[in-house]
Amino acid sequence: MIDALLEGLLLVLQWKAFAFMLLGIGIGFWVGLLPGLGGITTLALMLPFVYAMQPVEGFAFLLGMHSVVATTGDITSVLFGIPGEGTTAATILDGHAMAKKGEAGRALGAALASSLVGALVGAAALALAIPVVRPLVLAFGSPELFMIAIVGIAFIASLSAQGGRGMLRGFLAGGVGLLVATVGQDPQAGVSRFTFDSLYLWSGLDLVPVLIGIFAIPEIIDLVVRGTSIAGDMPKGRLNQGALEGVKDTFRHFWLTIRCSLIGTFIGIMPGLGGAVAQWLAYGHATQSARSAEERQGFGRGDVRGVLGPGAANNSKEGGALIPTVAFGVPGSSSMAILLGGFFLLGLVPGPDMLTTHLAVTFSMVWTIVVANIITVVVCFLFLNHLARLTLVRGHFLIPVILVLIFIGSYSSNNHYGDLLLMLTFGALGYLMVAGGWPRAPFVLGLVLGKIAENYLYISVARYEADWLYRPIVLVLIALAIAVMLYPLIQARRIRSRSVKHA
Amino acid sequence: MHSKASLILGAGIMLLSGAAVIIAMDWPWKAALFPIVIGIPVFCMATAEVIWGLLDPAARSEAMDFQLSAQLPQKIATRRTLLAVAWMLGFLAAIVLLGFPLTVALLVFVFVKFQGREGWVTSGIFTIVVWAFFYAIFDRLLHLPFPAGWIQTWVGLA
Repeated sequence: MIDALLEGLLLVLQWKAFAFMLLGIGIGFWVGLLPGLGGITTLALMLPFVYAMQPVEGFAFLLGMHSVVATTGDITSVLFGIPGEGTTAATILDGHAMAKKGEAGRALGAALASSLVGALVGAAALALAIPVVRPLVLAFGSPELFMIAIVGIAFIASLSAQGGRGMLRGFLAGGVGLLVATVGQDPQAGVSRFTFDSLYLWSGLDLVPVLIGIFAIPEIIDLVVRGTSIAGDMPKGRLNQGALEGVKDTFRHFWLTIRCSLIGTFIGIMPGLGGAVAQWLAYGHATQSARSAEERQGFGRGDVRGVLGPGAANNSKEGGALIPTVAFGVPGSSSMAILLGGFFLLGLVPGPDMLTTHLAVTFSMVWTIVVANIITVVVCFLFLNHLARLTLVRGHFLIPVILVLIFIGSYSSNNHYGDLLLMLTFGALGYLMVAGGWPRAPFVLGLVLGKIAENYLYISVARYEADWLYRPIVLVLIALAIAVMLYPLIQARRIRSRSVKHA
Repeated sequence: MHSKASLILGAGIMLLSGAAVIIAMDWPWKAALFPIVIGIPVFCMATAEVIWGLLDPAARSEAMDFQLSAQLPQKIATRRTLLAVAWMLGFLAAIVLLGFPLTVALLVFVFVKFQGREGWVTSGIFTIVVWAFFYAIFDRLLHLPFPAGWIQTWVGLA
């Protein structure tokens, strides 16, 4: 095992594999920065280029590219409030709020350092978990996966707003997200649902224009209203001093970062849930770390823990997602499904062979994730202060550039004008939600999970009828969902009684 | 603003989720199961939210989310909000009429010159830089298929 681990490292450090990894990192770096241009699409576009490569070189190229996309996607989310990637949207809530307070450097430092920790945890999980993960994956059927989706929404809905009414709005937003996800042709009966005879809507709502609209449009409107730079009238000095503070924050909240990394890894292992879910669950968990109502109110307004959680989770999920892909040939996400194609192109068959005959190649993947993330984070830190200064650029220079990026980013999803209308429609919804004090996170998680949840619910009902509700893990997850819903209310009551005692 | 936006949202969701459940009832159960299972609780929660809003319009519930700036007087904020919306709708209309490449240059120049009140030279140089970035990345490198605008098609330039 140790020999294979070292051999894997040496394979990655061979000049050819290393050069391909650097090329992949370079492409992934820019793909992550540009909103709308997805890591999955780029992975698919780059797949044919691995034909002529050796397995280690091919994986160094593909994984090197894929594992840095989420890291640089965080930069766009923090600086401009536009999700650089679908998997980095949660970073906007607190990361961009920090940028507006003049703490862009600190937010970027925290995002990058937590991304690195997340990537290392994910890679370690991949290295350690392969022999023990089989029973875990096999114990989770459709009913359990449906319940994980419900727990996820309950988790974020109950934690993303204050009080009873806030909770109601959280659940309402999550429900609307689930309902909106039903737009398009249904996978079971082939019925066109809520498409209004529009061919564009047949394949459902694309996540990228929706995410860009719901997050970027309210920010742009606010920037026009304020008429200043993103950081407003903050003194310049604060931006440059923050990066190291962000790194320190990662270690100040080290266990939170580790826990969120583990959440990301777990979600990555579960087939079909994906990184877009991992970041929100990690964000929900980060908000749970608030000890008082006042502290919780700080989330969404620039609490660094809201950056650390999603930052760690969206990088650790890659290692997690590789586990079922490598060990059983079951891809944990869409990107892993594409990577699975890479296995076959390179002449490898996922499964037991990858844990015996090709163990060194498997470990080379672990090392690729580690080395690629270290290189990216080091490069990003070199330019961090320059990047942070972008938040001081006057609004009227920034707004047209952001508008160009969000319009092109949305349009590039399907190359259809409908993408632009979709982006503006959800921009209006996002603005109303922000203006009305509704949380956007549950809506996005509902939208992301909608199709998956529907599929699992249908299979559960068709296969087990109502009996799926009595499966042991389902019962545990139902109890967990109820506990998650009651937790904020119990916590609020405890805080109230404590303050009454003190008074 | 807070309660008005919330009421609009609540009422809108109530109407749409109610309509969604009624429409879904005509579908085969395989297609209707999920929209109905989700639509009914959404309708009930939206109704509760609207009633809550009507009975207690002053009650505020802050989400853990981005907050709109509240430093400016309401009148100015509303005017600037409408201006931002107009810019976005104008950009969309220009993309459809003129196509992406021309619109990008036009938007950047007009915004910096007239909204930002920068000089002609600054506006011109900034426009050239942004357009060159757009052209190099999205057109030459990524080969995104930008369709010609309707005007170019009508005139026969496409």
